[in-house]
Parts: sequence; structure tokens; C-alpha cells
Amino acid sequence: MFFLYDLERTITLHPFYFGPHMRDYLIHKLLTDVEGTCTGRYYIICVLDAYNISMGKILPGSGLAEFTISYRAVVWRPFKGETVDGVVTAVSKLGFFANVGPLPVFVSTHLIPADVKFDPTSNPPQFSDNEGQVIEKGAHVRLKLVGTRSDVGKMSAIGSIKEDYLGCL
Amino acid sequence: MSNIRDANLHSDEEDDDDFAEEDEDPRPEKRQKRAPSDDEEEEEDDEDAPKPSGRDKSRNKSNGADEDDEIEDLEDDDDEDEDDDEDEDDEGPRRRRDRGRAHNPFLDTMAEVDEEDELDDEDDDEMEAGFIAPGDDDEELRHRAGDDRLHRQLDRQNQADFAEDLEKVAAEMRDRHGGRQRHRLGDSSTVTPKRLLLPSVNDPSIWGVKCKPGKEKEAVFTIMKKVQDMKGTRNAFNIISVLERGQSMQGFIYVEARRQADVLNALTNVPNVYARSGMILVPVDEMPDLLRVQKRAEITPGTFVRFKRGKYQGDLAQVIDVEQSGQILNIRAVPRIDYGAREDLDGTQKRKRVVSAVRPPQRLFSEAEARKHHDKDVHATYGSKRGIFTFQGETYENGYLVKDVRVTALQLENVNPKLEEVTKFASTGDGNESLDLQALSQSLKASTDKYAPYQPGDMVEVYSGEQAGMVGKVTRVRADIVSMSVQEGPLRGKDIDVPFKGLRKRFKEGDHVKVMGGSRYRDEVGMVVKIVDDRVTFLSDLSMGEITVFSRDLREASDSGGMGTAAGKYDLWDLIQLNATTVACIIKIDRESLKVLDQEGATRTILPSQVAAKIPPRRKDAVATDRNGSDIRIEDTVKEIAGGENRSGVIHHLYRGFAFIHSKELQGETGGIFVARTNNLATMIAKGGRVASSGPDLSKMPEMSKKPAGNMAPPIIPRQGGRDRIIGQTVHVRQGPYKGLLGIVKDATDTTARIELHSKNKTITIDKMKLGFKEGATGKILSYAEFVQPKKGFGGSGGPSYNSSSSNTPSSGWSGSRTPAGSSSWAAGNRTPAGAHGGGGGQRTPAWAGGAGGDGGRTPAWASGSKTPAYGANDGSRTSDPYRDGSRTSNPYRDGSRTSDPYRGDNDGSRTSYGQPVGSGGRTPAWNPGNRTPHYGSGEPGPRDSGTAWDSGSKTPARSLSSVNDQWNDSYGNNSSTTARTPAGYNATSPEFSGGYSAATPGASGLSAPTPGGLNAPTPAPVSAPTPRANAWDAPTPGGPISAATPGASGGDNRRGGYYDAPTPQAGGYSSAKTPGAWGNDDEDDAPGYN
Repeated sequence: MFFLYDLERTITLHPFYFGPHMRDYLIHKLLTDVEGTCTGRYYIICVLDAYNISMGKILPGSGLAEFTISYRAVVWRPFKGETVDGVVTAVSKLGFFANVGPLPVFVSTHLIPADVKFDPTSNPPQFSDNEGQVIEKGAHVRLKLVGTRSDVGKMSAIGSIKEDYLGCL
Repeated sequence: MSNIRDANLHSDEEDDDDFAEEDEDPRPEKRQKRAPSDDEEEEEDDEDAPKPSGRDKSRNKSNGADEDDEIEDLEDDDDEDEDDDEDEDDEGPRRRRDRGRAHNPFLDTMAEVDEEDELDDEDDDEMEAGFIAPGDDDEELRHRAGDDRLHRQLDRQNQADFAEDLEKVAAEMRDRHGGRQRHRLGDSSTVTPKRLLLPSVNDPSIWGVKCKPGKEKEAVFTIMKKVQDMKGTRNAFNIISVLERGQSMQGFIYVEARRQADVLNALTNVPNVYARSGMILVPVDEMPDLLRVQKRAEITPGTFVRFKRGKYQGDLAQVIDVEQSGQILNIRAVPRIDYGAREDLDGTQKRKRVVSAVRPPQRLFSEAEARKHHDKDVHATYGSKRGIFTFQGETYENGYLVKDVRVTALQLENVNPKLEEVTKFASTGDGNESLDLQALSQSLKASTDKYAPYQPGDMVEVYSGEQAGMVGKVTRVRADIVSMSVQEGPLRGKDIDVPFKGLRKRFKEGDHVKVMGGSRYRDEVGMVVKIVDDRVTFLSDLSMGEITVFSRDLREASDSGGMGTAAGKYDLWDLIQLNATTVACIIKIDRESLKVLDQEGATRTILPSQVAAKIPPRRKDAVATDRNGSDIRIEDTVKEIAGGENRSGVIHHLYRGFAFIHSKELQGETGGIFVARTNNLATMIAKGGRVASSGPDLSKMPEMSKKPAGNMAPPIIPRQGGRDRIIGQTVHVRQGPYKGLLGIVKDATDTTARIELHSKNKTITIDKMKLGFKEGATGKILSYAEFVQPKKGFGGSGGPSYNSSSSNTPSSGWSGSRTPAGSSSWAAGNRTPAGAHGGGGGQRTPAWAGGAGGDGGRTPAWASGSKTPAYGANDGSRTSDPYRDGSRTSNPYRDGSRTSDPYRGDNDGSRTSYGQPVGSGGRTPAWNPGNRTPHYGSGEPGPRDSGTAWDSGSKTPARSLSSVNDQWNDSYGNNSSTTARTPAGYNATSPEFSGGYSAATPGASGLSAPTPGGLNAPTPAPVSAPTPRANAWDAPTPGGPISAATPGASGGDNRRGGYYDAPTPQAGGYSSAKTPGAWGNDDEDDAPGYN
């Protein structure tokens, strides 16, 4: 689910950049630092604006200046039970991996309907129910997240297509 | 036993009598004192009542005195050791007890009264005294004296009264103790509460006596026989019973008796019993336990048991059958056979030792293996069943060891089989898995475990019993009772208690769980994907494999579960150093071991202690070159294009020429990691697709030096009007992914050209500066700059300075370069670094750096230099030559780049070698100095000095620096590549060179002979390293000079000329020389010539 979050970030800037364009540098740095990252709980998709940049504070010893920037960002946070669409990235006999945006999701064979079977002989390997539903690398699937896991700076999830209206799109 | 008991009863009575007689004297007086109180009388009756039997005493006495009494009794009877204590308060209690005897007749021993006539009479008197007031007594005496009749009457009355009294007392007694009397008499049909049958301190004690283990029964029978024999004799034993507890208390027999002496007496001369070595008095409250029969775990076929000892100690086994006696079980287990163990040993005694030394792993019996080593020992049983073999005295069925084992050798309780152990029994030989997990989990549940399977906070579910279906959260665990607060259903919010049995943990799909105990998978963390009853399948976070365990072994894990491994220092996918030459990537972390994939692609399991060092993650900018010459870095997606299976994945580590790559598709034992040589890989990133960060790195100061350099970078080559000259030319691509390919220029802009490649049917757009143009007449490869402006000096800012330097005016350019201050604008930034690096190399570098990108910068720079010399003299020509050479030998270059290290190391040597040759000609010496000095010194003697100075620094240091590619790159910027190449090229050539070297002069001839082959040969480089390199190194320079002559026009002649010119050329050559060094090809040519 997407959210608009108010976030804060502390950025240090090399003294070289102190000057008239400092603000631009800061925002530039904010964008490169923050956009597309994962906090472990959500992904920061896009920074809308930086609405407050604090006064810089020189760090003793290094000469770098530290700024605290408050910004608004669109974040995506996957939830357990959420239904999402993804693109299959890998298929193995244990299940398949799909990317839901930045989030890698594993769908175990246990969470795939029984009639959709792994076919190791096909190339590339695929899950298929022999009725036109083919899950292979690159396929688009709709799945439901049954669990998410967060690490520092990365997330992963397991998903299920063992329900109505889930599966190959 | 009962016989013994009877005998004992009798003797007991006698004992009591003895005591009574002893204490007779003091009695009357004391009796008097106490008589007045009726209450007390009753009390005493009360306490005395049970006495006569001596064995069944009153069990509910309440006052302290009585308790004393009890103890006394006990001690009197049994414990002679403690007589001292007793003596202190002997008097009181004994008196009371003795008096108590008076009442015996009323209670239960009327028949025995006869035996004790004397006593009874006395007692009667006493009774009288007790019941009649003293006054009456006197009166009676008086009457007796005079009136007989009255006396008799009185007597009668008294007697009647007394009888009445006695009846009353007796009735009272009966009321009070009737019940007990009945059961004491043992003839009651009513059921007695069990607790009343429990032994008390008044009962005989039980002593435990040591005996020979295994001989308990024998000893008991011996004693029984003895007792029988002695019964009725004077020496009859006073023991009540003897018993043994078989398995549970091996090495003990228990004797019930009143006194220890009796026990000792009875046990003398009984074989295998060690009565003298101390006996243990069994505490009263433990007596019932002694006789408690423990229910033995029921052994049914299918049950799991464990071996207690031997080779299979601790191994799980499954009961196939139970012998009738129940003492022998037919079991099957996974055998541990060391097939090769006996091969070289013939003695059977030796065999045993070997077997016990190292326990072979559990493995199903393999007929093939067995036959291989001991063919004659293998006997197949042909019958209805196949797969039954006898091997070395054991029977194997379907691979399992089948054996009859005594129950005593097996552990039947708390077997606690683990899933993975049990699964070994799952295969029935025909490939089907038949495992009764249900039964297994039940047996597991029954077993008590070391760790508490339930902890407060766990979600549990009741699945059997009245409360089945209840779901709740554990609030408390006591023994094997769980208090849970119900979370669902009508009882929601209530607390209920449920035993472990019938309870299981509850998880939901997607839960993050951790394996807690009892399982091989302990500490694995993962997400639940499937739940069937109490089997939970989860996907391990680490291995991405699925693991099935019992829910009892799982706990909800915190979101990011850390591994509590002994190998905690290492993380999955860390790169570690195993020894000086081997690195490996961790692909699995177990509790005590690491599984690694080494650079050769082999997996092995090692202990954390075997890890020499952990290689810290390289900087992100560690870079390697793929098969196509593109940069590949950590986290790039690459594909194997040679020597592999077309696997692709993301690079995790780069180490030397190896990349550890993680592929999602490739699961399996390595967890998706595979290793490949970088030159078998191709980056999947689109060409040139590496996105440089769009803005400056704001955490670093931008490198000032680059800016001016950048401005200077692309040498501006004034374009002549009209059609671009290069269109239609056949060109070499000198850089980039298409390096080395030939093509025809189809179109051109100011900076780029579109080239149709010969080899691939493809048209590419490429920077003109990356092209090499073949000169029609000589076949030489010219850079774009050269090609476009063949005869002119370099127009660029770099050009002049260069020229000046190369043209023997060392002071200006070069000197300037050294002293930054003096240096011209471009020198400024460049030099400093250059200086740092030392010799010519450094200078060049800056020069290069000054140039635009690596490509453009170099080429033009070189070109400029080369040309200049060309113009001015041979020197220039040299430079150019080398340059071209370099361009050709791009491949060798790479090779060289690898071997850069050895190369430098060699420098010293190279020089020396040089020096020696030098001696021969003026040149050589010139060279040596020249190499260093040369730049400047080229033409002039004066410069030499300066040259030397800088040379000294330059060469060696330069080399040394170059050893690290990165450093090179950094310091030299663009040059780095050139330098890198140079060495490479050198190395490549060097071997050959060395050959050529020795042929010093002949080398001249060699000049004309371009031995590209040599160049290409990378291998030799390291080997020949020192000397050759030196040679090679020098070679270029000379090459420079040599070619210098040729400036463009004449090749061979020029060189010679250059040769001759030695000093100047050297200088010039030198400066250019290094560069040339970089370029492989010509160097070769030159080098030989030099040599």
C-alpha cells in the first residue's frame, strides 16, 4: 500500500559545496540517498518535496556540515494479506520468485494450487496447470502476501496464489 | 515372608516381657501419683491399647509424651546403637508402657494373660488402688480384720463394681478403637483405607544391603532358605522379610527387621551379600516407594528405542518384534559399517579396537561395498524376500541392521526421536516413504524433554480431549500442565489448564518462526508456508530451502532472527580466506560448521577455526574485466559465456580473476552461489549502460585537478573543411568492447565515427579517438590525431609542453612538471601526482591525465608527443612508434595488466641487465641514465643529472606503484591504462625479449622484426619477470628512440638512427619510452632491436 510519509534525514555536506547552491546540492543528495531505498519496513519510492532544511551544523573535526531535512515521500509498504501483482523472476521446483516492484516474493509450491504443477522438462522451467495457466520467468502473476520479513535495508515476503482470482494474469 | 513374620512376632512378644519385668519395681509408686486423674487414665489406656502386638501401634497419638513413647519403643526394640540417648529419659515412658500392659486383657490378648499371671495380678491390684480412694482402702482393711461376711460382701461388691467398671472401660475402648482392632486382627472383611496401611516409624525398619549386582535374586532365595532351616531352632532369625528390586536398584537387597543386629545375623555367611560393608536404613517415607511397581513403557512393534552402549550408542532403532519373554527385542537400525576397516588386519581382536576407535557413519548397508572389501563375508539370503544379507555375522534387511537385542541394552524411555533420525527409517526399500508421523509425534509428546516445549506467550491449540479446538495463549507452565487463556470461542478470556498431551503450538502461514530444540535445524529461521497437523513446513531465510519440523520445536521468531551460531563471526555469503591461495564464499552456516564454495568451485564443510581470515567486502568500485573487456563490478548482473552452463546472476564478490555469483535460479546445494572466472563472464548491462552517478559525490571534495585536466582533455583537432578524411578508411578499434576489431568508417562527426565492423555484421558508433588508422604506405597504425594531421605538431596545449620536453629542452616542460610551480597550466595538477609516482611514468601520466578521457587523452597525448619527436628528431618518432605498437597489441596489454606486479619487481633487475648491455655501447649507459634521465636528458648531458634524479625515483617507484592496478589508475588517471598495458605488453614480450636480449645487437635486426607473437604471450611475463621486464621496459624506450628516427616516414632506418643517436633519443625515447612501454607491439620490435 502506498503512503505519503513525512520523513527526516540527516545529511552531511562537504565544505566544498558550501555556497549559493547548497540547497540544491542537499536536495540532490537527499534524492540520491533516499529514493528507491528500503528501510526494512517500507520502500521509499519518491521524494515529493523537502519542506524543511535545517540550518547546517558544522561537525567538529571534519568540517562537514550536517543538515536535517524534513521531506515528504511516497512510500510503499507491503502488508501481510495484501494482494499485489508481480513479475516472475525465477522458477524452481520449490516454487517461484516474483518481484513486486522492489520486493522479492517467494511463492512456495505449498501455496500454489495443487493442479498447478511444476514442469521441470519445459524450457524455461514453469508451473503449469496444462490449461493455459503458465507461470514461467517473466510471467505476470497476482498473488497475496502471506508473510513479510524485514531485514536491515531489505525486505522479502512469501506469497500465495492458492486462492480464487490469484495466479497468472 | 509370612512365615518369617510369624516367627518374628513371637520373639517380639518375648522382648516386651523382658522389659516389663525389668521395670516392675518403680511402678507402684509412680502409679499412685498418677492414679487420681481419670482423664489421664483414659489417655493412657488410649495410648497403651495397641501395644500388645508391638507391631501395629496406635497411629494417631497426639501428645508429646506419647511421641516420646513411640520413639522409645522403636529404639528399645530395634536400635541398640542409640541406647545412650534413651537412657536419659528411660524412666517415665517405660513406666507408662509397663502399666499399659495391665490393660492388655481388655484389648486383644486375653488369651495371653495366662502367660503373664504374675503380672496380671499385680495389675489388678493396681487397678483397685487406682479406682478406690485411699480412704476406702483403710476402711476395708479394718473391716477385713473383724467381719468376714462383710468382707466377702464387700469383696463381691467390689468385684461386681470392678467388673462393671471393666466392662465400661472395655466398652469405651471398643467404641474408641473398635475399627482398629478389627483390622489389626486381620480378620475383617471391610476394606481399609490404604493410607492406614502405610508404614510408620513403629513398624520394623528396612535396611538396604549391598550385594553383588545381578545376584540379588539368588541372595534372597538363599536367605529364605536359611530362615526356613533355622525356624523353630534357638537361632531362628528375627527378620521379617527380604526383597530385591531387580533392575531399578541393582546391587541391593532389602531386609525388613526390627534390629540391625538381626539383619546382620541373618546375612552372615550368605554369599554375594556384603552386609558388613555398611547398610542403609530406608527412611520410613521411602518405604512405600521401595515396593512400588513401576509400569514399564510398553514396547510394541514400531516403537523407537535407543542403544545404550556399544558401537551404536545413542543411535535410534525401531522395534520390529518383541520376544515373548519381553526381554529381547528384535530391532532394526541404520548400520554403521566400516567396510574397509578389516581389510589389512587379519586378527579378530584387532578388529574390535579399530571399530571402536572411529565410529563409522550411519549408512544403509551396501551390498556392493561389502562385496568389494569382503566378498566372502557377504551371504545373501535367497527366499521370499530379497535384500536380506548376512555380513560379518550381522543380518541386514533392506539395508538396515536387524538384530535381537536385550531390553537392558536399550533405552526405552525418553527416546525423543528426531525427525531426521526417524526419516532414515522411513524408506521401506521400495522407494516409498512410509512414516507414521502421527504415531511418532505422539511418542514424542509423551517423552519429557529437557527444554520446556511451551513457554508463556506461545499460541497453543488443544486438539484432543474435552477442550479440543480451544485456542489460547500460554500464561503459565507448571510441570506438564499449561495454563492458557482462551482467545477464541465462547470461553474467550477464561483461563484453563491443559496437560501437554493434547496440546500443540499453533502457527499461521506466513509466521516467522525459529527452530528451538531437538532438531538438526535448530536456530533456523524462516517463514511458515504449510501446516499439517503439528508438522510445520517453513522456508528458511538462509538457505531458501523448505524445512519440515514439529510445531513443538518451533517458536515465533522476532522479525530479524540472528543466528546463534558458533560461527557467529561469519555471515552467509561472506568471502573468507582459507589459505594463501584459496578463498571461498560461505554458502551455509550451521551451528558448528560452515559450508563454503571455494574458488575452484568445490564445496566443502569446514570449521570456523579453519578460516584464516575474513575478507572484508571490497569497495563497491572493485572492478574486473569481463570477456569482452567491459568493466564488471560487485552487484553487476553477469552471465557465463564460456566454460560454464550459461548461468547468470549477481556478483557477490570479486577476487582476483574469480567472481562469486549468486543466481536465483540456481538453488541446490550451493544455495545459488557459483564461482566463475571473470574472463568467462559477460556483463548483462547494456553496453556503456553503467550509469555514472548523475551528480557530484557530495561527500567528497571534487578533485580539483581533474577540472583543468578535463578542460584540456579532448585534444582539439582542428577539423578541416569538407568531407571527413577518415570516411572510408579501414580502421582498428583500439579501445572499448570492440577493441581489436577492424572496420570501415562509414560516417563521421566531429568526435565520433560510425564503423562497419568486418567481423560482425554490425555498425557501431565510436569515439574517433579510439580508432587506429592504418597508414597506407607503412602499415603502421596511426591515431586519429596523427592521421588527420600527420605532419604537424600538436596543436593542443599539451602538445607544446610536450614538445618542448621531448625536444630536449628539458628545462621547460619537464622540469616544470617536476616543480609544479614552474610547470605550465597543465603540468600543475598533473605533475604533483606524477612526481609522486616518480619517473617518466609519472610525467606521462599527468600528461595523459591532462588529456581528456582515458582514451582520448592518451592517444592524443601520445600522438602529440610522438609527433613532436617525430618532428624534432628521432626521439619524437620513437614515441609515436611505441604508441602505435601499443595500439596493436591491445590484447597483450591486458595480459600484462594482470601480471603487472612481477613486472615492477623486476625493474631493478631489468636495469641491471640493461646496464650491462649498456657497457657495450654508449647507448646503453645512456639508457640507464636515460631511462630515468632520458626524458630530459634525452639530448643533453646536463639533463641527465636531473634525469637521474628523477629517474631514480621514477623507475623504481613508478613500477612499484604500478604494481597495484588500482593505484596506477588512480595516480595516473588515464595513463594508468597505458602504463598498465605497457607492462603487460612488456611482460608478454619480455620472455622473447630476453632471448633477444642476450642477442643484444642482433636485437637491432629484431627491430624490424615485429614479434607480435611474443607480445601476445602473456605467460612468460611473470616467469621471466625481472630481467625480461627490465628489458622490455627499456625496450620501449629504445623502441622509442629507434622509432624516433622513423618519425612517421621511415621505419627501420629511423630506428637505427635513433639507436645510434643514443643519448638524445634515449632522452626523448625515455619520455616517450614509457609510453611505448605501454604499448606492446612496437616495443617488441624495438626491444629486440635494442637488445
